[in-house]
Amino acid sequence: MTENAGIGVSPGGTWCTGGRHPGRLLPTTVVGSYSVPEWLERLKTEHYQRRISAAHLAEIHEVAIKAAVKDQERAGIDIVSDGELRRDNDIDYFLARIPGVHIAQRAKSDYYDYYDAAVTAPLPEDGEPFLASDFAFTRALTDRPVKFSFTGPFSLSRRIAVANGAYRDPADLVRALARRLNAEARSLAAAGARFLQIDEPFLAGYPEQAELAVEAVNIVTEGVPATWALHVCYGNRYARPSWEGHYDFLFPAVLGARVDQLVLEFARKGLDDLRLIREYGWPSALGLGVVDVKSSAVEAPELVAARIRRALEYVDPAQLVVNPDCGLRHLAPEVARQKLRAMVAGAAMVRSELNSSITHTSPASGERDSQTSGDTHG
Amino acid sequence: MDIDIRAVRRLRESAGARAALGPLVEALCRSDADLATTRVVCDWIQYKSNFRDTVTVRPVIAADVPASSVVDGYELAVDLRRCARPETDVAAEVTAALSEEVHVTRGTAAGERAWLEPWVPGSASCVWRFNALYWQALADWEKVTGKEYEQSLPGGESDARNTAAAREVILDLFKSWDELAHRRALPEQLYVIELGVGNGGQARTWLDEFTELDRRHGRDYYRRLHYLMGDYSAHVLDRARQEVAHHGGHVSGLVLEATRLSGSVGFLAGKAFLVYISNVYDNLPSDEVAVIRGRMYLVQARSYLSGQAADEIAGRFGLKRAELAQLTERLLRIGPELLAESQPDIFPDTGQAVLFWQAVWTSLRQAERYVPLEGLDTYRVTPALTGEILRPLLAAEGDVRMHVSNGALSSFADTLPLLHPFGRMVCHDLFTTTHGDYRAGFYGPGKYDGSVVNWVNGPLLQLLASRRGFDARFSPFTQRPASNVKTLTVQVRD
Repeated sequence: MTENAGIGVSPGGTWCTGGRHPGRLLPTTVVGSYSVPEWLERLKTEHYQRRISAAHLAEIHEVAIKAAVKDQERAGIDIVSDGELRRDNDIDYFLARIPGVHIAQRAKSDYYDYYDAAVTAPLPEDGEPFLASDFAFTRALTDRPVKFSFTGPFSLSRRIAVANGAYRDPADLVRALARRLNAEARSLAAAGARFLQIDEPFLAGYPEQAELAVEAVNIVTEGVPATWALHVCYGNRYARPSWEGHYDFLFPAVLGARVDQLVLEFARKGLDDLRLIREYGWPSALGLGVVDVKSSAVEAPELVAARIRRALEYVDPAQLVVNPDCGLRHLAPEVARQKLRAMVAGAAMVRSELNSSITHTSPASGERDSQTSGDTHG
Repeated sequence: MDIDIRAVRRLRESAGARAALGPLVEALCRSDADLATTRVVCDWIQYKSNFRDTVTVRPVIAADVPASSVVDGYELAVDLRRCARPETDVAAEVTAALSEEVHVTRGTAAGERAWLEPWVPGSASCVWRFNALYWQALADWEKVTGKEYEQSLPGGESDARNTAAAREVILDLFKSWDELAHRRALPEQLYVIELGVGNGGQARTWLDEFTELDRRHGRDYYRRLHYLMGDYSAHVLDRARQEVAHHGGHVSGLVLEATRLSGSVGFLAGKAFLVYISNVYDNLPSDEVAVIRGRMYLVQARSYLSGQAADEIAGRFGLKRAELAQLTERLLRIGPELLAESQPDIFPDTGQAVLFWQAVWTSLRQAERYVPLEGLDTYRVTPALTGEILRPLLAAEGDVRMHVSNGALSSFADTLPLLHPFGRMVCHDLFTTTHGDYRAGFYGPGKYDGSVVNWVNGPLLQLLASRRGFDARFSPFTQRPASNVKTLTVQVRD
């Protein structure tokens, strides 16, 4: 575990993977997914009903990803993503490509539905990586740092039925998926990915499994030289939380996760759980959810700023990254754009206050001191 | 020429219905109608009181342009039920309908019908203002008819008292609550919402059963329970409040618009463990859409009084025929009580104004036409939902005409977010349950007393539920399995 590892963005736009380079405070980013317009949903469904070829859909996705990256750039987001627009949902894009996972029926009445997936024998350890090319496409579109996220092994395992005694202990399936994702992560790093994120959207539904999930996260990140984030939320399927509760269940287990950043939702749930960050002494960066992705009401920049200020009561500014609660996929395009703009504006307000405060108290320090630093994991 | 007989069961059962088909075709053949572009649709309209004449003609408009629209063909809509009666001269009805349509289209019979509104989508028709007025001024209406509205329902009573069903739901809730409590995730307030409370019988049955079962269960959930009753009619709500008065502070009543729940009970998002809705959806505004020869159309309606009915009403109340539309509009705007106050020369008391209301309502008919629906995304099913939601159903198979159930869909879409992840919605109503239902029957609109009734497009609600991550299932209504009412149960999927 590195000390104070972070993801600052240098003034010139160069992404600092926690190294000792000057960057700026409160970098803004997204969690992963971007608004899926209704017309794109329709075209995706057409594909799953075999009315549009995979080749045509791939071209459509590329156009949509270009637009999503452009939207993020125009909104002023520091670290952008491909919007996960190729993915039908948070699970199936991976399960459909992992060798050894069987999906009997690949047609869907709606693209967003989950497949029924099964394993009948232990997953093969080898297989062609499939995510690196997705990253490379996005990397070529923008000069900004790119975050690349994928669903973690615990959540993937929850959508797989185990047959034929393939895994007598369900935890072994989680570990096998983690090894498969580790291979993907190595391939992503080799393709130039510097900021990787593991999403565990199902973990909140199985709080007693936090230790297993953390163990699997560490398998995924093992030997991969990147800044790693772990995103845990209460679910965003159909823009609704799948579970309710508090982040207590993550602690202390998550302290053992070899990641550089914990990305949590706060805008919808309130900021009460920030106490856990201090109580348990979370040592790395915190991705602070400041925009509610389950509501189409656009937050005012002042509200975003207020949430950040409140977080700063618990977290050092150099540890803080500003992001929405979760992916933006369920928001209408214009609402997503407005929310990102509000988020960027709110972060800018607080950043300005912090810079001003630093200048007044310590003219020699400035942003250099506020920058997150440390080596990356790997 | 296409002849689409939807009343297939009645066709087998009714010799009169079969006998009506010959004269119908003969009359068409004798007419000037372009048979190549004419469709005949035969329904069996089960509502004694409805908005249709025995035979009506519906123009199919070629392009979405103003009133002078080019007509692409005609649909002859036939009520086989009335045609099957021995006294009905089917050929004469067909000839009259064709003749009237020619006059209406050419504007040569402008004085014949008393139009009450311009062409509008079904959900925007004034019949829904009549419907709203019925619930708002129910006390005035009941005073004149001398009977409570429940007596006007098909079974003579509301559908909502079933102790066994209540017990099953409550015990399921206890199971969920025990589990949540074990995980320290049980909220302090446990909300149950009932929309469309009738006379309060359901609420009373449910709450009485709850207190008894909770006493046995021993977790004191009743202390945390809050039962929220919502209804459009303050009059109905008051009656229901009295029924559950012994549950005191555990019950609240709220006058609300079922189609705009987010504005009234949106604060309960994610908090409701049970939402109970009975006989609400069939009474909410609906458009209809159709696929005719592969093209999509919106059904537009226009309410009118026939010349004969208009003359009778005008004569009875000492009015000029030309005053009817204006006076009806005024009635819908201010209600019978104020109408009587403002025009005592015509209506000496509220009762007289109600009688005028009932006379217009009884005689009210609707003309219909099909206008092209260009791009489903441009058609708003609800303020938050485009017509794209209809695509899977419209594209499923061939020609069809179906309800959009706009009001029900809007209410349903607003209700789903209220559900706690462990919550469920239970809804009793008149639902079509398969897409094929619309090919084999008539599902409204009809009139129940002073209100409008439409069956609700069940597969469309299921589709919306699925798109929002819920599982929606239909089952027979256990209290009266032989009735047309079905139970829709909705729970979180995945």
